[in-house]
Amino acid sequence: MPCADEIILSVHDLVHRYLDRYTALDGVSLDIGRGEKVALLGANGCGKSTLLKVLDGLLFADTGTYEAFGEKVTEDALEDEQFSRAFRSRVGFVFQNADAMVFSPTVREEIAFGPLTMGLDTDVVEQRVVDTLAMLDIAALADRAPYQLSGGQKKRVAIASVLVMNPEVLLFDEPTAALDPRTQQWLIELMVELHHAGKTIVLATHDLDTLEVIADRCAVMSEEHQIVRTGTVGEVLDDRRLLLDVNLIHERSPLRRA
Amino acid sequence: MTAHTSAPVTATPRWLVTGEIGLCPCSSIGRRRKGSYLAKTIDGAAGVVRQALFADDLAKERGLLQRIEPRVKVVSLLALLVVTALQRTVPGLLAVYAVALALAALSRIPVGFFVKRVWLFIPIFTGIVVLPATLSVVTPGHVVLPLGSCFGHRVGVTSQGLRGAGLIVTRVATSVSLVVLLTLTTSWSRLLAALRALLVPRMFVMVLAMAYRYLFLLLGSVQEMYVARTARTVARADARGGRRFVAASAGAVFGKATTLADEVHQAMVARGYRGEIRVLRVRRPGWTELVWVVTMTVVAVSVIGLDRALR
Repeated sequence: MPCADEIILSVHDLVHRYLDRYTALDGVSLDIGRGEKVALLGANGCGKSTLLKVLDGLLFADTGTYEAFGEKVTEDALEDEQFSRAFRSRVGFVFQNADAMVFSPTVREEIAFGPLTMGLDTDVVEQRVVDTLAMLDIAALADRAPYQLSGGQKKRVAIASVLVMNPEVLLFDEPTAALDPRTQQWLIELMVELHHAGKTIVLATHDLDTLEVIADRCAVMSEEHQIVRTGTVGEVLDDRRLLLDVNLIHERSPLRRA
Repeated sequence: MTAHTSAPVTATPRWLVTGEIGLCPCSSIGRRRKGSYLAKTIDGAAGVVRQALFADDLAKERGLLQRIEPRVKVVSLLALLVVTALQRTVPGLLAVYAVALALAALSRIPVGFFVKRVWLFIPIFTGIVVLPATLSVVTPGHVVLPLGSCFGHRVGVTSQGLRGAGLIVTRVATSVSLVVLLTLTTSWSRLLAALRALLVPRMFVMVLAMAYRYLFLLLGSVQEMYVARTARTVARADARGGRRFVAASAGAVFGKATTLADEVHQAMVARGYRGEIRVLRVRRPGWTELVWVVTMTVVAVSVIGLDRALR
């Protein structure tokens, strides 16, 4: 667990239901420390994506609390322009579905969307867009339309559109899902690099093979939508009974760890 | 940890391990049928996507019109449209059409493709509408092609009617050519940027841009559903089955569109969207645009002068 004075995101006893009927989170508590790499592990439909959306202030708790950078994050608080601007610029979210994130007519405009809505000066935005395009090696795509991009290229654009805002915390929902091995490796290395640059990373995944590289702490969610265990990657991967109980692995699933 | 592979994964039904009777060994001797209306519609949708992609390729060529700043191009081609609307003689209109053809060639648009794209639809839409106007009962005058008599009057195609119809058809073809020139040489994104600069409300432009962008995605979904259905269709599907598929896929696409709309909105909010949109600067017009505007003004004045001289 991170030291209390370093905690930047904290959810406590959080309950969220869709349509007031379908429980997605049931009494979830989790603290994220500054500069951590935390993986939310769990089977499909256990509530990982919902928790990430709560952490990004896109969904709100029915009961329970969420605090970011020492401030309570509620629907009401995000109505405040100053708070909303500060929160949105400090927390970035890369959705699983890159198509949802790439809505502008061109890649360049897509990447500029966030910093422009933040109210940054156009010159600064233009320079940041150029830098981000170069960093993610997508300068050649700058004037392309989204429907002309492959899945991997769309993912890069989606990440660029978040990185350009220089957030302190990066939330990734199933980052390596549906990507070819080359793009997967590129993304894993990028996340490690961003972590070294001081970013806090929270990701939802069920890819156990890459866990040791992309996370140093895990929160395991059960199919009852609760966090049943937090611990280091080693502790979690060694607990085969736990992974079986939360339906992350099959009885005959091999694990790389000896 | 080691993998265990000895135990059965699921209870396999007996029929699944028995071979099915496949195609008749005497090869393809069954009845052949043409594709259904459904296949044609889906193919049409795929064609729309292909055409949009091809049009974008043309917009990236380094031709004359592609170099002109989009706002200047929109305004100048709109001005040429007004000049076309003011023409009262066929030669005047043909002069503007010739300008459009020259611009197409200078913009590296295959002229055959450009002409076909315009003239394929003109006879269908305009030709049929103006056909009655060529007859002496609508436009009296000198009959050049007698068709018979009605209540003692000679009925036929008149030279005045032909001239009027020719004027309308040429005007429509020229106007459509100018619009096609604009859309083929300007990428959708630049066209939108030009609309924004021409004081079209930003929210309207944004909705237009997103509708166009996600139309491609949803068209892709429809195609995938159709291909998945075709892959599992052994016997010929009847029209009723086709209708059912259309209804089911319309429902599925509607559901997908709703979910997608929610996600897109969340993605926008996550990046600070609060109802207002800001955009990057668009390029300022330079010397190229100045030369272009002067040339187009000379062309417009010459065409108007020619038209007046021929009246």
